[in-house]
Amino acid sequence: MESLYWPLLAQKVAFITRPEDVELLNSTMIELVKISKAFGGTQALRDVDLTIRTGEVHALCGENGAGKSTLIKCLAGVVSPDTGTMRVNDTDLRPGNVRASESAGIAVIHQESVVFPDMNAVDNVFVGRELRTCGGLVLDRPAMRGRTRELLQRLGEDFDVSCPLSDLTLAQRQMTAMARALSMQCHTLIMDEPTASLSERETHTLLQLVRDLRGDGISILYVSHRLEEVFEIADRVTVLRDGMLVETLDVADTDRERIIQLMVGREVEELMHRHGHAEAEHEVALEVRGLGDENAFADISFSLRTGEILGLAGLVGAGRSEIARAVFGIDRYTDGDVHCFGRPLRPGRISDAIEAGIAMVPEDRQHEGLMLPMTVQENLTLTMLHSLTRGPFVDRAREKELVGKALARLMVKTESPQSVVSSLSGGNQQKVVIAKWLATEPRVLILDEPTRGIDVGAKAEIHRLIRALVSEGMAVLLISSDLPELLTVSDRIVVVREGRISGELAGTEATQERVLELALPDAGRGAP
Amino acid sequence: MRALTAKLKTAGWRQEYVLVMLLVVLIGVAGALDPTFVTARAQLKLSENIWGLAILALPMTMIIITAGIDLSVGSTVALATVTFGLSWHQGVPVWGAALLALGVATAAGALNGFLVSKVKVHPLIVTLATLAAFRGIAEGASKGKPVTPLPDAFTQFGDTFAGIPVAAWVFAVLAIVCALFLGRTPNGRFVYAIGHNERGARFSGIAVDRILFLLYSLSGLLAGVVALLYAARRNTASPEAGMGNELDVITAVVIGGTSIYGGRGNIVGTCLGILLIHETREFVRWYWSSDELNLIVVGSLLVASVLAHRLLRFGKK
Amino acid sequence: MSTLSTVDSPPAGRLRRFADGLLVLARSREYGLLLLIALTVVTVSIKSPDFLDLGNLRDILEQAAPVVVIACGVMLVVLTGEIDISVGSLMGLLAALLALLASADRCAWHPAVAILFVLLAGAAVGACTGLMVTIGRVPSIIVTLGMLTALRGVTILTMGGENIKNFPAMVRFLGTGEVLGLPVDIGVAAAVVILTGFILVLTPLGRRIFALGSNPHASELIGLSERTIKLFVFAYTGFLTGVATLLAVGKLGNVAPSMGKGRELLVVTCVVVGGVSISGGRGKLRGVVLAVLLMVMMRTVLTFMEMGPEATKWERAIQGAFILLAVVVDHLASRHHGSGR
Repeated sequence: MESLYWPLLAQKVAFITRPEDVELLNSTMIELVKISKAFGGTQALRDVDLTIRTGEVHALCGENGAGKSTLIKCLAGVVSPDTGTMRVNDTDLRPGNVRASESAGIAVIHQESVVFPDMNAVDNVFVGRELRTCGGLVLDRPAMRGRTRELLQRLGEDFDVSCPLSDLTLAQRQMTAMARALSMQCHTLIMDEPTASLSERETHTLLQLVRDLRGDGISILYVSHRLEEVFEIADRVTVLRDGMLVETLDVADTDRERIIQLMVGREVEELMHRHGHAEAEHEVALEVRGLGDENAFADISFSLRTGEILGLAGLVGAGRSEIARAVFGIDRYTDGDVHCFGRPLRPGRISDAIEAGIAMVPEDRQHEGLMLPMTVQENLTLTMLHSLTRGPFVDRAREKELVGKALARLMVKTESPQSVVSSLSGGNQQKVVIAKWLATEPRVLILDEPTRGIDVGAKAEIHRLIRALVSEGMAVLLISSDLPELLTVSDRIVVVREGRISGELAGTEATQERVLELALPDAGRGAP
Repeated sequence: MRALTAKLKTAGWRQEYVLVMLLVVLIGVAGALDPTFVTARAQLKLSENIWGLAILALPMTMIIITAGIDLSVGSTVALATVTFGLSWHQGVPVWGAALLALGVATAAGALNGFLVSKVKVHPLIVTLATLAAFRGIAEGASKGKPVTPLPDAFTQFGDTFAGIPVAAWVFAVLAIVCALFLGRTPNGRFVYAIGHNERGARFSGIAVDRILFLLYSLSGLLAGVVALLYAARRNTASPEAGMGNELDVITAVVIGGTSIYGGRGNIVGTCLGILLIHETREFVRWYWSSDELNLIVVGSLLVASVLAHRLLRFGKK
Repeated sequence: MSTLSTVDSPPAGRLRRFADGLLVLARSREYGLLLLIALTVVTVSIKSPDFLDLGNLRDILEQAAPVVVIACGVMLVVLTGEIDISVGSLMGLLAALLALLASADRCAWHPAVAILFVLLAGAAVGACTGLMVTIGRVPSIIVTLGMLTALRGVTILTMGGENIKNFPAMVRFLGTGEVLGLPVDIGVAAAVVILTGFILVLTPLGRRIFALGSNPHASELIGLSERTIKLFVFAYTGFLTGVATLLAVGKLGNVAPSMGKGRELLVVTCVVVGGVSISGGRGKLRGVVLAVLLMVMMRTVLTFMEMGPEATKWERAIQGAFILLAVVVDHLASRHHGSGR
């Protein structure tokens, strides 16, 4: 199949047939020299030297706050570095200008799907770089439409391009964002956590696409927390820590532990052991029977005991978050019932759930879990302010005391309880959300993707915390798309497939393969 | 200039300080141009015009902090006024009519509250619609004619009590209650939380719907109170009552430092904003007897205050 | 999202399908409006057949002309996620300007020059608003609220509280003249609608206007110039307000200091009822045009229904009721469609 990037590449290399040819040339596509960038008082990047070769998949790893996003924004032209130079294809790149970066051949697929929900796929792919006729004044709609369908087909997608994106699935929207990047005639593609919202199957398609692009001679800067993926497709990996480049390694010459070590700067023991709990004398904390709503799930039944961690597995979009939200009372359900310690809960009543002792840490910590402009203290006490009162007023002294204790218990790193919570790192923000809910003294804790987008160190701390809570008698319902995490932390796993429970596995018999088997749609059904 | 703004930033630059400074400057200039303006008696007489707006500004502040808005307050005043006038005219005893007016006004606010919190329509749209609807009903039902005069037992409340207008007492009590509510109680903090992130507030178990419903209902109720106070003072119940009040109130609240995006603002700031607009308007009227000039000044003040706020906070959003 | 089968018992199923059909109709705002217009016309003409008189229909269209012109501009502003409630006061100001320049009782400039001046002034004020919103970062509701007050003050001040008459023929032609049997004001309005439609559907700028309202953050990331686009839509609205002023003054032949008062409410009503989302990014021009026709028709309808002279007092109540209806229907329709998150 003819490459879409032929003309650009022809400038640089004579004729590429095999990846080996590219290696022989060993030419540099992107060269960053001594890049530094500060935001306010924080030094986000410090003298970073990075080279990306033509036709290589170059992974970028680092904890949150290590500087990966800032580096990407520099290359993309969203921000301009304070010092240093960027050279693309042996020419200087004009900093701080998105158009300049695009014309230089750099395309970026951002972490938050850059998508316009009210517009259709064609507009999403072409807005800002529309194809025109009639002296550049009028849109060439047939051409844009045709090209969009072409690109999507290459990505294995075949949906109606005149549909507004809000009517499409999450994966289809991500693919549209990808189509946009591909349409940009780039020679360097930057992908920032591209698989964060994708299912296993879609991740597979994506990684294959990355290989295809590399075969075409495209350089790819692949940013990911998922080290399995890095080892699967990357040629070299660069590790950033605290804004500085620690090391660039050939992937073939290293392993997972080494990379983690470089990222964290110290040895980290990941929580790799497993418990075999579920003793019969533990009472039933949460009982869900025949739960269903008209849309996302039906006939959901499971029970959760104190002192156990129940993992809820499934593909993205299977309905797990919807189930959790229904149990907690954020969304209403139409069939079935929920009992907490024998007490029935009314549908759609969050207050019922909280009173019964349920707490839920939501999926999107920034938009659902926290008030970013408020202080750490204010966020922490939001859920139980009513019990911190003296008369009609808030008891400031008691509030302060409670906050101090909570912060210490969870080891939240913050300048002061009066700091605005948006200034904390992802991991510490998540700890604040958890602390906020622990303050209600729940007996059932629902965690929806608690370690998404969090660095390895903080992840381990949160796992330790969950274990500690459970040993004190808490019942935990854990939703996670990170299968290894789910397998190591959970005592039991319930698998959800397309809105229904497809199976349950005890901790000892759960393996990645068995879970996937239960989670994937049946062969013979069309792709969802 | 930079040094000054840097100093202001470290001192915790707040809109309130700027407003106080502006007021001082204004009173100073006014006093220099005409000393009789700044006497206590003159001020007290002039203040009669402002208490209605001041009372309306209290719930408006809270509503805007939740990132909402209530454009219908002026029309609700009219609706309550007409309800009062017509029912009394039809023979209902005057206190019964007053109670009815309060009931109707609260129901009007509750309608806004219901549409905003339960039906989840954007407050701008809801109150734009009720602005038209309530005024329209008032004009239609009254056929455009005011009811006057009103019984003495009623209009005496338009007078003073211990030398200070009744309306001022009402305002003072309400202002203190609202300030304490916003600043010191859990629900007050929840109001700010809703303004920052309504979704997050819901997810945190805050009774968002109930709080919003009550805020808009309160706005309706207080509009009814203001309607009665206006009627008592002017001795007439006219469907024109409250015309344009919503713009004045929103202007005062925004000048007072409440952000239209929600999450920021307080009662003290609003009071200062009202005071600033009031003094400016009255002085312009006093010295240049021009109402048109007032429109220009107030309109410009509104934009200038937000612009200044933005410019002096460069870097922050 | 997921493919769950719901088993419908036959009677409930049929009822549901009927409700589905109605809601599909509601989702397409244009069909709903068309239906309402048709219903109104039929109802009124049954009571008073004079309604269908050509002269009356033409009158409705002429009244609608200045409204639809301004609505085209405000629609673009709302699509980008902003709002402009100053159009009524701007109209008053531009009318005063026109009066002062063109009237034989005042400066008596050459009418063409005065017209050009008014149009430029409108665009300039609009651009001013745009600058304060984009560079000054003042929320558009605040800027236009301030403008609404301040410009009205300027208008009353400059007119000295009097009405101004005696406009030159060229100006009157715009409001009352005819070209090849077609009234000029309707023709101008039609031209504006076509131009606006062209911009929205067939130009890159149109796509970017929608994009800006749909996702401002993403627009920034892909390098769209928020400044340029918003500046354009505000200036365009100012310019169109000038055009509308010319049509209105041309027809009336008389300018009062209260001219244009309350227009912004009518225009925003039409935009919202016409299906444009107040948060931006969504809306169709034909919906807005139909909404204008509906709203303007309401005014005449009240007279024809012979509900008495006080009936017109209820006009505002009806406006309000319409917005509420439009919005509630919207809400029900989108809720039924289900969440596609």
